[in-house]
Amino acid sequence: MSYIIVSSRVRLARNYEDLPFRSKITKEQSEACVQRTLNALRSLPQPYSFLPLRDMEENEKRSLLESHLISPDLMDHEECGAVLIRMDQQISVMMNEEDHLRIQGFGKGDSLAEAAERAFSIDDALQDQLSFAFDPQLGYLTACPTNAGTGLRASMILHLPMLTQYKQMGKINQLAAKLGLTLRGIYGEGSEAQGNLYQLSNQVTLGRTEKEMIDAVTATARQISEMEAIHRAKAADRDLTALEDQLFRSFGLLSNARLMPIKEFMQHWSNLRLGAAMEKLPISTETCDALLTAAQPAHVRKAAGAAVSDRETDAHRSELIRQTIKNGG
Amino acid sequence: MLCEECGNNQAEVIMTTVLNGQTTTRHLCRECLRKYQTENLQNVLAAVLSTLVSKSHEIPDITCPRCGETYAEFQKSGMLGCAECYQAFRRQLTPLLARAQGHSQHAGRRPPVSEEDQARLSRMEELRKLMEAAVNEENFEEAARLRDELKAMTPAREEKE
Repeated sequence: MSYIIVSSRVRLARNYEDLPFRSKITKEQSEACVQRTLNALRSLPQPYSFLPLRDMEENEKRSLLESHLISPDLMDHEECGAVLIRMDQQISVMMNEEDHLRIQGFGKGDSLAEAAERAFSIDDALQDQLSFAFDPQLGYLTACPTNAGTGLRASMILHLPMLTQYKQMGKINQLAAKLGLTLRGIYGEGSEAQGNLYQLSNQVTLGRTEKEMIDAVTATARQISEMEAIHRAKAADRDLTALEDQLFRSFGLLSNARLMPIKEFMQHWSNLRLGAAMEKLPISTETCDALLTAAQPAHVRKAAGAAVSDRETDAHRSELIRQTIKNGG
Repeated sequence: MLCEECGNNQAEVIMTTVLNGQTTTRHLCRECLRKYQTENLQNVLAAVLSTLVSKSHEIPDITCPRCGETYAEFQKSGMLGCAECYQAFRRQLTPLLARAQGHSQHAGRRPPVSEEDQARLSRMEELRKLMEAAVNEENFEEAARLRDELKAMTPAREEKE
């Protein structure tokens, strides 16, 4: 079911024992938080880049946000916020977010355990040298008590076009809630999930081990994927021509359009990826996933290399999509 | 047998009450039983109402000694000021977390313990056992000495850098 699970991510919230949390921290203490983190992680084996947010261009920050390497919260606190990113973008360490540290490990497809190992490697390296706020009963202490315990949020991004089309998402949401998990659209606002992309994550952080939480999210994501696969097969059985028509229309549009606004792209991207996963369209799911990030507004602007208008962005996006499809892969 | 409450009527009911783990049995007539049940229900209702009222209106007047965050501030923002707030507001936070998370005891990763700390922790465990044994043997002098030794080994919450 890995072709339905797009990506995996694990986030750990950590705070230094001796520094106040964000609502009470001074600027000097925020600087100390960054300095000691950098010192402790100085000897990491792989190369990292360190980016203080206040020194960065707006578009650069937005592009990190689109890649999930930083959070909206960190962008709102750019005065002291900073991030350390491993060159392969599989690990990011946000500093002076809601908590002193938000360590993130990433993985492609169904790889939550590997993503967790990446995050734990940073946690271990830091804990060898520094003390985190910890309580034997409440676990790792966080600024918002709803994150206390493991401080872990394990999430998987799922592509669920057929469960959405057949109006099954309400049912799936209830199933997730019963298991202490939440499911929400990752792009778009409110109930709208642009690109039919959903994020499944654990809500409980206290009383269950990291492994139990990771296993619960993984098992549920796989179960939801199976339901999506069944609906895909059903749709093909019911009316294959209609399904292929839906996929190839989007393929045709993405292959030929000269101006592609983001919202329209997201809608057709969903059909492109569905067609890739069902082996109906000459493109791979990996290429689709890379295109999803590359076609987001800040990424397109960054690649264009200059300050461009919205219309020019749409033109550059359509160019990028056409090239990607032409190269296949 | 006569009713234990009024001593007039014939007892027809055996009432068993469990209160704080103590079980008491009383033989009552129907009339006294009814009286008892009504009173009891009123007591229970009053107790429930008073907790509800205290929950919605009374904000405990507590301030974190380290960062100065008040419980009222926390209630407003949902954010704590420092790690010490968890100690200061422990009584309020524990039921809150138990409700939100369904658990109140951490499981999972922990900070590493140094060899020195490990030795100290096992010595403390040993002292605790000796102290319990001393109490059981009613050797209170020895128990008090062990308690003081334990206290001296418990680290004060010091600033680490």
